[in-house]
Amino acid sequence: MGLTLAEKMLASHTNDGKARAGEIVQARVDLLMVHEVLGSRILPILDEMGFKKVWNPNRVLVVNDHWAPASDINSAEIHRRNRNFVKEQGITNFCDVDCGISHQVLPEKGLVVPGATIIGSDSHSTTYGAFNAFSTGLAATDSALILATGECWFRVPESLRIKVSGELADRVMSKDLILNIINELGPDGANYQSMEFDGPTIDAMSVSERMTMCNMAVEAGAKCAPMPLNQDVKFWMEDHAPRKKWKEVKSDDDAEYVESLHFNLDMEPLEPTVAPPDLPTNGKPVAEVAGVPIDQAFIGSCTNGRIGDLLVAAEILKGKKVHEGVRLIITPASKGTYMEALERGIIKILMEAGGIVTNSTCGACVGGHLGVLGAGEVCISSTNRNFRGRMGHHDSRIYLASPATVAASALKGVITDPRSV
Amino acid sequence: MSPKLHSITGRAWVFGSNINTDQIIQGQYLTLLDYKEMAKHTFEVPRPVFASKVKKNDIIIAGSNFGGGSSREEAPKVLVYSGIGAVVAESFARIFYRNSINIGLPLLIIPNISKLVKDGDTVTVNLLEGTLTIKERGDVIHGKPLPERMLEILKAGGAVPWFKKRKK
Repeated sequence: MGLTLAEKMLASHTNDGKARAGEIVQARVDLLMVHEVLGSRILPILDEMGFKKVWNPNRVLVVNDHWAPASDINSAEIHRRNRNFVKEQGITNFCDVDCGISHQVLPEKGLVVPGATIIGSDSHSTTYGAFNAFSTGLAATDSALILATGECWFRVPESLRIKVSGELADRVMSKDLILNIINELGPDGANYQSMEFDGPTIDAMSVSERMTMCNMAVEAGAKCAPMPLNQDVKFWMEDHAPRKKWKEVKSDDDAEYVESLHFNLDMEPLEPTVAPPDLPTNGKPVAEVAGVPIDQAFIGSCTNGRIGDLLVAAEILKGKKVHEGVRLIITPASKGTYMEALERGIIKILMEAGGIVTNSTCGACVGGHLGVLGAGEVCISSTNRNFRGRMGHHDSRIYLASPATVAASALKGVITDPRSV
Repeated sequence: MSPKLHSITGRAWVFGSNINTDQIIQGQYLTLLDYKEMAKHTFEVPRPVFASKVKKNDIIIAGSNFGGGSSREEAPKVLVYSGIGAVVAESFARIFYRNSINIGLPLLIIPNISKLVKDGDTVTVNLLEGTLTIKERGDVIHGKPLPERMLEILKAGGAVPWFKKRKK
């Protein structure tokens, strides 16, 4: 039998060049991303280990993104520790609080290449699968061990193949597609598995649209979500990592999958989709929740805070005003995104419509700062998790949707089909 | 910390399915640098009384997909700091499973367990045999023992002591 993308990508990083689903392998890590969890949790573990030197200071990215700039004294202390660690260890890749969200800045810095193994101290590290890479999220102890050794053990995942064909209609976004896919799978439908997308729809997608899909694969429990290479990723590599060497990874025709699903959007056209509280897998057509009054509309995060997302929102909001009593908060995914949106006049349109544009951070999505919800408040959000209390008070409610649906809802003050405005 | 893996006895706290790490410890508390402080907010959303009533060696019983969502290692850590002796669930989300073993929190998978144990039952978990015994009714329920590698890490007390031992 042939090999899946996950098997091939892991196999090329083991000593014997082998990795089969179900096996436990020791694999080399090409890049480790750590955020505030470095200062808060990893450094004490490194002390306990008697750690001296990072295995390779060029293969680590440290990012201060979750509470950027510091929202309180504790986060300020965590940021301070991260800066010191970067200096002491001579780490070459550092994004301080001015930079943006890890999952956006890592590819922008040219640090993701096809075929690489990338580990992040964050569950949404599945995002880099969009670049034909193996990437997954781990936490503090595993990150500490990787910092010391450059290696990690993995259980090679079984793979789930998801083929998508047909076109996304106007104002239907890749967010709507992934909300439908994870709805079909359920919150643990892909637990421990590699979610491998392919098909003409995935092939035609922009890097940004693909990142949204891979980002949310973890909401169905997926370990990783590698995609085949496409044209837009090749252009991205030329722009962002022109000097890096890499090789495309293709799955074998006879690779073994635990299950194959096919979404044919021509046969079954996709509707704008909204996931009501309290699970990201609760997605349903927008018509079923249209009319629910909202207090806050949020566009941002590692899921949907990229230039294409802001552009769609600006198209919907241009020359109009956000509904009275609704706060529209926009958090671009990175400084680069923010500056491009400024240059293209997108920020002006969003602000003239009544939007509040914040610096780039994970802030509101983790209930940290810059958009925390109060008791009883309802938010429609382009983020990835609608767990109870995720964005603030435990009696607030989050509806997940695409940036188009969030923008349309901000205009009307109630959850609204973006095709109707 | 080197847990007694063959016999962990405590009162059961029974939860349903899909209890994610945000429910175990909310994101707003992750900047707290002291785990003892953080543990006061364990299960604050789904079980507000938990932190004040939990006792040493109490056992968490849950449905499927326990610990989904964020990769935060703080989730199993606050359970340890709350005194929890083991977590027995119908299934675990991937990162939570890995994190728990890494920090030395015993886990066991037993199908249907959330329907068999009642809140407040006194239960004994035997990790080595993969069983749970309900004291009041004498029922012995069988699950699947952990893979050898996971037991080895748990016996060492977690991944860091395990790593240090192997380095010597």
